[in-house]
Amino acid sequence: MTLSSATFPLLQHPMLIVEDSDEDFEAIQRFVRRSPRPIPMQRCVNGEQALALLTQTVLADGPDRDQAPGLIVLDLNLPGTDGRDILRQIKQDATLKKIPIVVFTTSSNPKDIQDCYNLGVSRYIVKPIDYEQLKRDIQSLIDYWLEITHPPELPELTP
Amino acid sequence: MAEMVDLTNIVDLTNCDREPIHIPGAIQPHGVLLVLHQSTLEIVQVSRNTQGLLGPAPEELLGQPLSSLFSDQQIQQIQQCLTENFESINPLELAVTQGEQAQPFDGIVHRWDGVIILELEPRQNLPSPNFIDFYHQVRGVITRIQKAPSLQAMSQVVVKEVRRITGFDRVMVYQFDETGSGSVIAEDTNQDQPYLGLRYPATDIPKQARRLYTLNWLRLIPTSQYEPVPLVPPNNPVTNEPLDLSLAVLRSVSPLHMEYLQNMGVNASMSISLIQNQDIWGLIACHHSEPAYIPYNVRTACEFIGQVMSVELVNKAASEDIDYKMHLKSLQTEFVDALSQEDHFLDGMAKLGRQLLGLVNATGAIVCSGNQCISFGQTPPKDDINALLKWIKPRFDQGMFKTQSLMQDYPAAAAYKAIASGVLALEISSIHRNFILWFRPEVIQTVNWGGNPNKPVEVSEDGSLRLSPRQSFDLWQETVKGTCLPWKASEIEVVQELRSLIVGIVLRQADEMALMNYKLQRSNEELDSFAYIASHDLKEPLRGIHNYANFLMEDYGDSLTEDGVAKLRTLVRLTQRMEDLINSLLHFSRLDRAELQHQQVDLHELVQQVTDTLEIARSQDDIEFRIPRPLPQVACDRPQVTELFTNLISNAIKYNDKAHKWVEIGTIESAESLPAPGGIPTTATPVFYVRDNGIGIPPQFTDKIFQIFRRLHGRDDYGGGTGAGLTIARKVVERHEGRIWVQSTPDEGSIFFFTLSPEPAV
Repeated sequence: MTLSSATFPLLQHPMLIVEDSDEDFEAIQRFVRRSPRPIPMQRCVNGEQALALLTQTVLADGPDRDQAPGLIVLDLNLPGTDGRDILRQIKQDATLKKIPIVVFTTSSNPKDIQDCYNLGVSRYIVKPIDYEQLKRDIQSLIDYWLEITHPPELPELTP
Repeated sequence: MAEMVDLTNIVDLTNCDREPIHIPGAIQPHGVLLVLHQSTLEIVQVSRNTQGLLGPAPEELLGQPLSSLFSDQQIQQIQQCLTENFESINPLELAVTQGEQAQPFDGIVHRWDGVIILELEPRQNLPSPNFIDFYHQVRGVITRIQKAPSLQAMSQVVVKEVRRITGFDRVMVYQFDETGSGSVIAEDTNQDQPYLGLRYPATDIPKQARRLYTLNWLRLIPTSQYEPVPLVPPNNPVTNEPLDLSLAVLRSVSPLHMEYLQNMGVNASMSISLIQNQDIWGLIACHHSEPAYIPYNVRTACEFIGQVMSVELVNKAASEDIDYKMHLKSLQTEFVDALSQEDHFLDGMAKLGRQLLGLVNATGAIVCSGNQCISFGQTPPKDDINALLKWIKPRFDQGMFKTQSLMQDYPAAAAYKAIASGVLALEISSIHRNFILWFRPEVIQTVNWGGNPNKPVEVSEDGSLRLSPRQSFDLWQETVKGTCLPWKASEIEVVQELRSLIVGIVLRQADEMALMNYKLQRSNEELDSFAYIASHDLKEPLRGIHNYANFLMEDYGDSLTEDGVAKLRTLVRLTQRMEDLINSLLHFSRLDRAELQHQQVDLHELVQQVTDTLEIARSQDDIEFRIPRPLPQVACDRPQVTELFTNLISNAIKYNDKAHKWVEIGTIESAESLPAPGGIPTTATPVFYVRDNGIGIPPQFTDKIFQIFRRLHGRDDYGGGTGAGLTIARKVVERHEGRIWVQSTPDEGSIFFFTLSPEPAV
C-alpha cells in the first residue's frame, strides 16, 4: 500500500472518541449509530490511552494502519493527561497533526475556546444540556465530516 | 579638619619634637634634688642649690651617706617608702636641721634610671596635711564629677574646683583631637580674655612632652622666670649618662616652653594629664600671671581629680553615646513606622519631612525614587539635582558619598554653594534609583586659633632652622570658603545605619509584596478552578440526568403512562433550569475577575445596538424606546456596559404588563436632588437612567432586587430568568466605581439610576 496516495475517509477509518464519561459516550454513540451508514468507532477513556492508540495505528507502519482514526472527537477534561495536553502533543507531531480534531466539551470558558483554536482544532463544540440540541450537534458533525469535507490523505510517515 | 592638618604639616619642623626634654640636666629652683645610690643610699649627685635650701654646699654632700642630712628614723622612713609603692606614701614629712632650726620638707622619693631620686620641697607654713583634709577637699568634687550629666558639665565642674583649690587665674580643660591639635572646652578664669573655644596647633605640645604627660600626671612650674639649677656632677655617676628626670617633679622644663609661657603672659603654670586608654586625652591646664607655688598635698588633690575625671571620661562618653543612641533609636523607630506604613519608599520618606534634616543637621534634603524626587528645606534647583546625581553615582563608596566642599571637585556646584556646599548622599538601591541627599550651606567658616598657628621659623646662628614659640597669642582667625561645616563621624554613622535600615524595610516590603501577590494569584487561581468546577463537574452529572431522562422517554415511552412521561419532562426542565443557574453564577464570577478594558464608548450608539437586538428578540411585543437626548461618550468597559444596559432594558420590557410598553434611556446632569442609597446624593456625573412604565417594585424590595437569584415573582412569570440580571448590573456599576439605585411606584413603573464613575473627591 502506498501510503502517500491513500485517502483517509471516515467510512473506512474509525472515528476516535476520547471521552471519560460513560454517559456522555453513550449519548454520542446513540446518535452516531442512527447514521444510515455504519461509522466505525473507537473509544479511549484517557489521554495516555489515546496517545498510545495513535502511536500504534498511525505512527507504526504495520497492519494496524487501517485502524488509524480519520477524526478525533476530544473531551478536554480527562483524568491524567487531559485533553489540552493531548491536543498539544498531536499538533506538535508532523504526521498526527493532519488528523482533524473536534473538541466536544462541557467547558464554555473563552480561554479554553481560544487556546484550542490556537492549537489548531477544527471545531469546538460545547456539550449542551439539551437533548434535541445534542441530537442535532452529533448529526451535523457526522454529516459535515462524512458528506461535506474532503478528507486529508493518510499521513505519510516521516522516516 | 583638613585645613588644620595642612597648617600643622607646614610648620612641622620638628626641632621641638627632637628636644630631649627628659634629660635637661637641671631642675627648677623651688626644691632640691638628691640622687642616692640604690643600696647604700650614698649621695651621688645633687642639685647645685643645696646650700641655700639645706645648708651644705653640693661638694659637702657628694659621697656622703644620707645620715649626714637626716635622722635614722627619717632614713628608715625613706627606706620603707622604697620597698612599698611610693606613690601612695609620698610626700614624706622630712626635716633637715640647719643650725637651730629644723626646716620641714615634703620629700618625694622614687626609683628610676638605676638610682634613687629624692626631691625636697620646702614646706610652707601650712597646717600639716592629713588624709581627712584631702578627703574633704575632694569628696564633694568627686561626687559632682560623677553626677555631671555630660562631658561638658563634668569639665566645667573640674575647672571650677581646681581653680577653687589652687587659686590659679585660669583653669581650662583642653581636649586633643585626632590630629593632635586641641581646643579649650571648659574654662574658669578671672581674666578678661576668655580662651574658651580657642584651638592650639599640635606643635604646641611636642611628642616627647606628650609621652611625659602619660608617665607623670602632674607638672608644676611655680614661675616661668626661674633660673634652672644644674646638677652636680652633670651626669648620673652610676650610668655616666645625663640623669633621666622623667618622673622628677622638679625637672626643669624646656626653654622653648618657658618662652611659650612668657609669650602668653603666664608666670606659674600647672597641668594635670587626662588619660584615656593609656593615651593622653587632654589636660587640665592652669595658668597664673604671678608666681604660684602649689604645695604637694594640693597637687595630689588636683591629680586625684584628674584621675577621677579620666575614669569618668569613659562613662560620660558612654552615657552621651547612650543618649545619642536612644535619640537615634527613637528616630529609627519613627522611620520604620513611617516607611512600613507606606507601600512606596517615597511616601514613607515624605512623611518624615524635617526629621530627615535633623538626623544629620542638614539644611536641605532630597529623596529620589525612580524619576520622582521630593525635597525638604533648601536644596539646589531640580535640574541641577539630576546632573549632580549623575555625577555622584559613580562616586558612591559602599552606598555613600560625602563632601564638605562640593565645588572643589564639581565646579558646577559653585552656582548653588550658598545652599549646598556640602553633600552627604546615600544610595539605597541603584536598581530602583532610590537616593537620599543631604545638603549643608556654605559657611564662611572661622577657626579661632590661640595665635597664628604658623610658628615663626627662625634661622639660628649655625644656619639651621629653628622653631621658636609664637610671640602672639591673640585670637587668630582663619576663614574657609565654599565649604560647609564638617560631616561628623557620628552623623556618617547615623546615615549608614539609616541606609541599612531602609534597605531592610525596602527588602521586607518587596518580600511582603511578593508574598501578597503570590497569595492573590493563588486565590485567583482557586476562584478560577472553583468556577471551573461549577461549570464542568456540576454540569457533567446534570447532563447525564438530562440525557438519561430523554433516553428513558425514547426507549420506554411506550410502557410509561402519560403521567410518567410528564414527570420525566419536568425532570428534564429542571436540569435545564439548573444549568441556567450554574451559567449565571459562572458568568457573575467571571465578571468580578475580568480586568476592565476602559475605552471611550459612544453610549448612544451602544444603547441603539442593545435596543435593536432586544427588538429583534421580542418582535411580537409593542415596545417604544425613548432616548430624549443623545447619550454621551464615556470611558468604560464596552462589553460590561453593554450587558448592563441589556439587563436593565430587558427587565424594563419583561416586567411590564401594559399593552403599550415604553422604555426611556437618558442622563441627568445633576442628581443632587435624587434620593440615592444611604441618603447621600451622588455628585458623580452624568447620572444615567432607565425608566419604564412597567409593573414597578414594592418599596420593601427595592434593595433586595439586586441580590443574586432573588426573584420577586414566580420563576415562570414574566418570561422567567435566573434572577441574576440586576446582580450583574450592580456588579458592572460597582466595577466602574459607580452607584446604582432604583425609584419605583408599583403599577406605574420604575427608574433605575446609575453612574459609571467614582464620586469626585471633595
